[in-house]
Amino acid sequence: MRRAWTCTADHYLVLPLGAAIAIVWANTYSASYFHVAQACAFAVNGVGMAFVLAYLMQEVIEAALPGGSLYSWRRTAVPIVAALGGTIGAIGAYLACIGAGDEDILVQGWPVVCAVDVVVSLAVARAIFRRGAAAHFLLVVAIVSDIVGLAVISNRALGLRGHPAAALLIVIAIGLAALLRRADRRSVWPYLLGPGVMSWFGCFWAGVHPALALMPVVPFLPHSARDLTNATNAQRVRHDQASHFESLFEWPVQVVVALFGFTNGGVLIRGFGTGTWAVLIASLAGRPLAMVTVIAAAIIAGLELPRAITWKDVVVIALATSPGLTFGVLFATAVFPDGPLLMETKMGAIASVAGVAVALAAARLLRVGRFVEVGDQSERALRRRPV
Amino acid sequence: MAATTDQGAHVKRVVLAGLIIAMSSAAFWAQDLSVPNRADSLKFAAIGDNGTGEQPEYDIGRQMDVWHRRFPFDMVIMLGDNIYGNQRPADFVQKFEKPFKPLLDAGVKFYASLGNHDNRANDAYLPFNMGGQRYYTFARNNARFFALDTNFLDPAQLNWTEHALKETTEPWKIAYFHHPLYSDGGRHGSEVDLRVRLEPLFTKYGVNVVYSGHDHIYERLKPQKGITYFVSGAGGELRQGDLRRSSLTAAGFDQDRSFMLNEIAGDDLFFQVVSRTGQTVDAGVVHREAEP
Repeated sequence: MRRAWTCTADHYLVLPLGAAIAIVWANTYSASYFHVAQACAFAVNGVGMAFVLAYLMQEVIEAALPGGSLYSWRRTAVPIVAALGGTIGAIGAYLACIGAGDEDILVQGWPVVCAVDVVVSLAVARAIFRRGAAAHFLLVVAIVSDIVGLAVISNRALGLRGHPAAALLIVIAIGLAALLRRADRRSVWPYLLGPGVMSWFGCFWAGVHPALALMPVVPFLPHSARDLTNATNAQRVRHDQASHFESLFEWPVQVVVALFGFTNGGVLIRGFGTGTWAVLIASLAGRPLAMVTVIAAAIIAGLELPRAITWKDVVVIALATSPGLTFGVLFATAVFPDGPLLMETKMGAIASVAGVAVALAAARLLRVGRFVEVGDQSERALRRRPV
Repeated sequence: MAATTDQGAHVKRVVLAGLIIAMSSAAFWAQDLSVPNRADSLKFAAIGDNGTGEQPEYDIGRQMDVWHRRFPFDMVIMLGDNIYGNQRPADFVQKFEKPFKPLLDAGVKFYASLGNHDNRANDAYLPFNMGGQRYYTFARNNARFFALDTNFLDPAQLNWTEHALKETTEPWKIAYFHHPLYSDGGRHGSEVDLRVRLEPLFTKYGVNVVYSGHDHIYERLKPQKGITYFVSGAGGELRQGDLRRSSLTAAGFDQDRSFMLNEIAGDDLFFQVVSRTGQTVDAGVVHREAEP
């Protein structure tokens, strides 16, 4: 049971579960679903997601500490370039798709395709590459892409009338968090209840998406280095301390993620449109193509691929960054209000999960990661067979 | 002798042509005008999804002109997708000004709402009378119209809609926009997420009739929570056979392009739906219940 829960939590399987319930409900008793979903939307997207993003950011920051799997910028140079190139490629493909039609109003949906679902990418990385450089590479690409997307949507919180002066509250919150850190406060509560709340109101009143509210505070929370691709027992012990953000919010985050899937995943099956195809093409084709091209250009320019990564790995990594899913849906809710445009783009973000299958198929075809062994084993078996 | 024969044949041809014209005219005038056409009433037409610039749109424009001579409506509400494809100045001529030239020349005013194929900047196009706003309101006689932008129904627009509805003193409240809250169109259907936002406002503040397009058919729905909904999205585009009749359908037509004629007289709104060939495909009356 414990193992099943760990697997569910590690892969955020509650998200597709919530989305699946939402899709069934939305397509059977639509009005009641949308009543419930719209009533929950602000609490989940504006408050709950602040904790989820903080939780993910905490993991990334800890991975970048000495001893963490992302430590040393030298290891991350090529994937950062790849992420930026892939994001530009996805945006370009999206705009090209919209430009080919006549629904110009969808142009403003371009931030949706900046999204790479960190959780899904991590799951794909673990499934294909297990541990190792390729998994780290993929993770950095996903994180950098989302940072770009979050930066873009940060001032696009719909319905919030921006009072720029309120941004001062965010600055004060950062200062307070720094003071708490300087005072060596080891519990996360003072950080959350003081600077966290202040930053949330600062974002809300300044017109910044409130889901981003805890991100300026997270760098000051108590940390310990970690390996994102495979948590060791020692790490688990450190992260199980009562004062640690991860141990405190492990369950609540899973609940919020499930609610997020439920609140935002309820798309009407016939709600597809130009926006759906544009997001899908940008995610499944634009991003991977641009990423491979940019990596090739970076190598020609003098950068080096991490030692253990081959070009076949690069192709699979590029395909594995296709799913926008959670982040795509979050970005869509930030740029479009309820209505057909949101429905179309959300459906594209959800359908981009098809990238997982494409990446797995490519890995198998190219004999990459775990499939190297399959290929080698069958080859060895063939050799052993008597002629 | 030969000249006399030619002259006789010519006379026969003229008489025959005259007969055909007279019969056609008689057939047209014999078509029922289902609306009462009272002198002091508010008369308006409604079209949706018209802006293709292709022959069917021109046919609709011609048919509207023909009916305008018998039923002199002085305004047309446009239910979105007013211009498909390119939105250059030449497109506005080809896809709007030319097809509806006789009506424009006759001083008929068009009041547009924006569809998903319309450029947002089209609210500045003067003949659409949007006043540079993507959502706006105006009053005629005893009716107030609310043109909404359902592409982008943000909180600001919802607040504006509630405020505008609250302030309305006219007995008839008519909303129109592109995406239908109720529709049995097979391609799109009801936009339920929009309905959840708008319907509570409409019922709270007593909206009587709602017009939409988007699904390229004509459909009249049975009144929902006291509101009559029309889908009229076949003013140029057509999705033949796309109407999936349900228990909500009161009437529908999905075999050809169509437009609507409407007349508000006192507490009654009369409507007549005319096809591209001039046939009446639906007609009736919506009676306004006195507000409590």
